Amino acid sequence: MSERPALTKGYVAKCSRCQHTLYKAKVANVKKILALALSALLLAVPAFSFSLVSVHLLGVTEQTSLLQGALLLIGFAPIVALVVIFCAVVAPVLLAACMCFSSACVVLNKRPRLLNPVLKLTSVLIHWSMLEVYIVSFMVALFKLSSYADIYYDSGLFFLVALLILNMSMICEYSNAYYWSFLTNE
Amino acid sequence: MNKPLKSGLSAIQQDTQLCKECDRSSTISQHKTHCPHCGTPISVRTKHSIQKTWALLCIAFIFIFPANIYPITFLVKNNEAYPDTIFSGIMTLVSTGMPGIALIVFVASMLVPVLKIIALAVISLAAHFKWKMNPKRQLLAYTIVDWIGRWSILDLFVISIMMAVFDKGNLLSVYPGIAATSFTVVVITTLFAAQSFDTRLIWDANLDAN
Repeated sequence: MSERPALTKGYVAKCSRCQHTLYKAKVANVKKILALALSALLLAVPAFSFSLVSVHLLGVTEQTSLLQGALLLIGFAPIVALVVIFCAVVAPVLLAACMCFSSACVVLNKRPRLLNPVLKLTSVLIHWSMLEVYIVSFMVALFKLSSYADIYYDSGLFFLVALLILNMSMICEYSNAYYWSFLTNE
Repeated sequence: MNKPLKSGLSAIQQDTQLCKECDRSSTISQHKTHCPHCGTPISVRTKHSIQKTWALLCIAFIFIFPANIYPITFLVKNNEAYPDTIFSGIMTLVSTGMPGIALIVFVASMLVPVLKIIALAVISLAAHFKWKMNPKRQLLAYTIVDWIGRWSILDLFVISIMMAVFDKGNLLSVYPGIAATSFTVVVITTLFAAQSFDTRLIWDANLDAN
């Protein structure tokens, strides 16, 4: 082990044994995270409820949204549905809400009791937010479908991609250590 | 905390522990149960880490068989059900001229779950019996397992999308099979198994290595 070094901006402290990044000399841009999280929350509504694709099959056009697909599963395979809903819908939305709350706390310089569990929840949710996996799955499904039917992209897909980009930049910008040091007032 | 820390000695030897939650250190002797900064329960190493990992791996090992043997989806066409296992789904993709997509599905749904179980089992065995294996290589394997594990959920998302697309049309519909639930159990238990393994145990087993 070693003493926590004082780093100048742009440098990264790495473990001398396993090269794992210990911490980066970055100050979390809290206002940026707040803005990203707020827009992610707003975008989540159309991204999950608007239709992602229209499939033209045997003279019938069907529209499909993310929520609809997940909710349909409940009746057939509840465990699968639970995992899909949690990883694709609940985790990203809750993550944005948590970051929104903690960033607002830093901006307003308030330290409510709730901030402690919210920060703990945030580090769990970062693991379970799987929008990027969903987008790749979506492409796989489209390729499978293309042999059956004609496919048209709908507006929901653009909202979903935008939500994914917001979500990823939010996670990149977030610094667990910075928020904890704010809470413990150091 | 007050004493300056020496490099080259492990944290336990210097009475220091790290909180995994808030990334801060505290003395072991003064804070035995909870982190003084964030109040999370704290211990020098994750408690019962190897036992938890093994329990979850056993569940994953049991469920990986039904996940691969039973049909994961049923395609209903003209009131006739065509079952599809994970493997037959991949073969269909290959035969319809989509080898790239088939490769993605093969890696995410078949290769990764099996490799994850094997890799985690070897790492936990090595940590438990203090085998002299290269710790850096073990850690690399763990990092890959940890990162790639989430991509196994891909197949579940595909099922949910396929179901929604073929929802209203009675001519063609898709339903999940037994294997879908088994596969979910495999994915979730291996994700938790990777999380419950404390990587510092790898180094404990190789104290003389650098």
